[in-house]
Amino acid sequence: MLRLEAVSKRFGRDWVLRDVSLSLGRGEVLALLGPNGSGKTTLLRLMAGLLKPTRGRVVREGRALFLANPPPFHRHLTAKEHLLYDLAFHGGRGDWRGALARYGLPEDLPLAAFSSGMKKRLALARLELLSPDLWLLDEPETALDQEGRELLLRALDGARARGGVVFATHDRALAEAVADRVLWLGAA
Amino acid sequence: MLKAAHPERPDALTWAFLGLGVLLLPVGLYLALSAPPDVNQGYLARIMYLHVPGAWLGYLAFFVTFLYSLLYLFRQDPRYDRVALASAEIGLVFMGLALVTGMLWARPTWGVYWTWEPRLTTTAILFAVYVGYFLLRGAIEDPELRAKAAAAVGVLGFINVPISYMSVKWWRSLHQTQSIDLTTGKIHMDPAMLQALLFNLFVFTLLYLGFVRLRALVAALEAQKEEA
Amino acid sequence: MRAEGQKAVGRGGLGVGRVWLLALRDLRLEVRDRAGVLSALSFLAVMLFIMALALGPEEGALRRAAPGVLWVALAFLATLLSTRAFALEVEDATLDDLLLTPGGKEWVYFGKLLFQMLLLFPLSAFALLLSALLFHLPLGKALPLFLTLALGGLGYAGVATFYAGLLARLRGREVLLPLLLFSLVVPVVLAGVRATAGLLEGVPLAEVASWWQLLLVFDVVYLTAGALLFPVVMEG
Repeated sequence: MLRLEAVSKRFGRDWVLRDVSLSLGRGEVLALLGPNGSGKTTLLRLMAGLLKPTRGRVVREGRALFLANPPPFHRHLTAKEHLLYDLAFHGGRGDWRGALARYGLPEDLPLAAFSSGMKKRLALARLELLSPDLWLLDEPETALDQEGRELLLRALDGARARGGVVFATHDRALAEAVADRVLWLGAA
Repeated sequence: MLKAAHPERPDALTWAFLGLGVLLLPVGLYLALSAPPDVNQGYLARIMYLHVPGAWLGYLAFFVTFLYSLLYLFRQDPRYDRVALASAEIGLVFMGLALVTGMLWARPTWGVYWTWEPRLTTTAILFAVYVGYFLLRGAIEDPELRAKAAAAVGVLGFINVPISYMSVKWWRSLHQTQSIDLTTGKIHMDPAMLQALLFNLFVFTLLYLGFVRLRALVAALEAQKEEA
Repeated sequence: MRAEGQKAVGRGGLGVGRVWLLALRDLRLEVRDRAGVLSALSFLAVMLFIMALALGPEEGALRRAAPGVLWVALAFLATLLSTRAFALEVEDATLDDLLLTPGGKEWVYFGKLLFQMLLLFPLSAFALLLSALLFHLPLGKALPLFLTLALGGLGYAGVATFYAGLLARLRGREVLLPLLLFSLVVPVVLAGVRATAGLLEGVPLAEVASWWQLLLVFDVVYLTAGALLFPVVMEG
């Protein structure tokens, strides 16, 4: 699914990542653990192709989507509108109504009125709907309540079945419960 | 223009360009000062021995930046970015020299320091584009993005040259107010003057080649140091 | 296999559709946000008003200055709009989502450009009417005048969209954008000013047409270059 060959990334004079190599097979889940500033988000963005490595190579199979933390949404759209635009831009078809219902979200409320937990749920519903091969998640567990966390676990299972998952987290219990492997990133 | 066998030291060719350039510079100066004065403009015409090579190399340098920017966009090799950067920097110096000497010459000849003549205007625009080029480089910390963004500006800025030139030329030709024709300042070349001019052009070109190679090497060393 | 199929759908079925959809979505966001369109409109009005006040009240002087003032106002307006087109994404951090859509990213460039043109057309018509009022301009050739504004606006916005996208995520973009932009669009301003002045002075259309040609060449060159370079600088 995904292979990183000695990837390094520099911003200005500072190296954020040095010589990271890994590979992720189909059906695998990888958790990234490490203190703040250890380069977890940068690594995910490199995997998504949103950044180019300063050195090394990233090889991806299939379509990858990256979920930032907090999840980005247009405030002035409703959940329904947002998902419909997303589907159109990504060229997909899907049951957006069912997805919203599964995550217990209202269709016609502007996203400005969503709590951070609701936005996180919407982000998961969106990913399920767009169904990329590779899910790249930055701290997916934050802001979720107990029910939301169960929804997350279920979503990750689904994603594993469809391709692969890499997620960054500070929640070691979650990493141990879900991930096949854990990658520790030290402070830069 | 790219490779150096010992990346931490200027190679023989760079030294040859620079050494020869510096050695021949006084010779060029002597030729320029000993060339006969112009029939109409007298000693003032001597400013052209600085002005013409400066302008010529400024344009050449930005053209090289354009080429290496294109190469970078296709190949994404940081060496191309360094040559583009080096050439733009030297080009800015030469173009600045051409603009200043041009204004010094224009004042006694035309009575004004500046006029909206197509060549002048295009040159000033190009100068502004490359000032923007360096400000943009300074604003981006991600080295890959910086190189790509700079390359894009290098390309967009240079394809602007013919369009700007045409637009200013037409704009002036339709303008009904008094205008200064560049040909009033035309210099009738004596063979000795032409010789001196070509010699200075040659010396400046040597200096350009040497400086670009040296500057690209310094950029490579900077990159190495940043990576360490 | 499924990903392959989806990609084909994305390329074949949604080429132009996505461009329109993005432009209309941005318009919708802009209308709901209100701040953007209204401030652009008031900016135009205030700018033209102040310039007329500063250059007037003599009628001949106003009429002579009008084309230049109009084009400077439009240049600032287009800068405002292009910044706005990407501020919509930057404020909500949604730019990455657009860049992760399947296929090439040229459609994002054209979508953002179309959004600006949809605002720029009515706004330049408004500017034309307002300057007719304030600068005593005859509007006998309203259609050719509008065509000039449209051609110039397109070239201007074509460059502005590229630079606004490039600078969207950088510090100091407010200063850098005009600096990078104004030096490149000198031909548009010159051609626009001359064509507008020519039309107002009643010069035969055939003479003005050469300026339109120049604007058209600029548009074609910079829209092509912008669309080709935009994906390169946006992706990583």
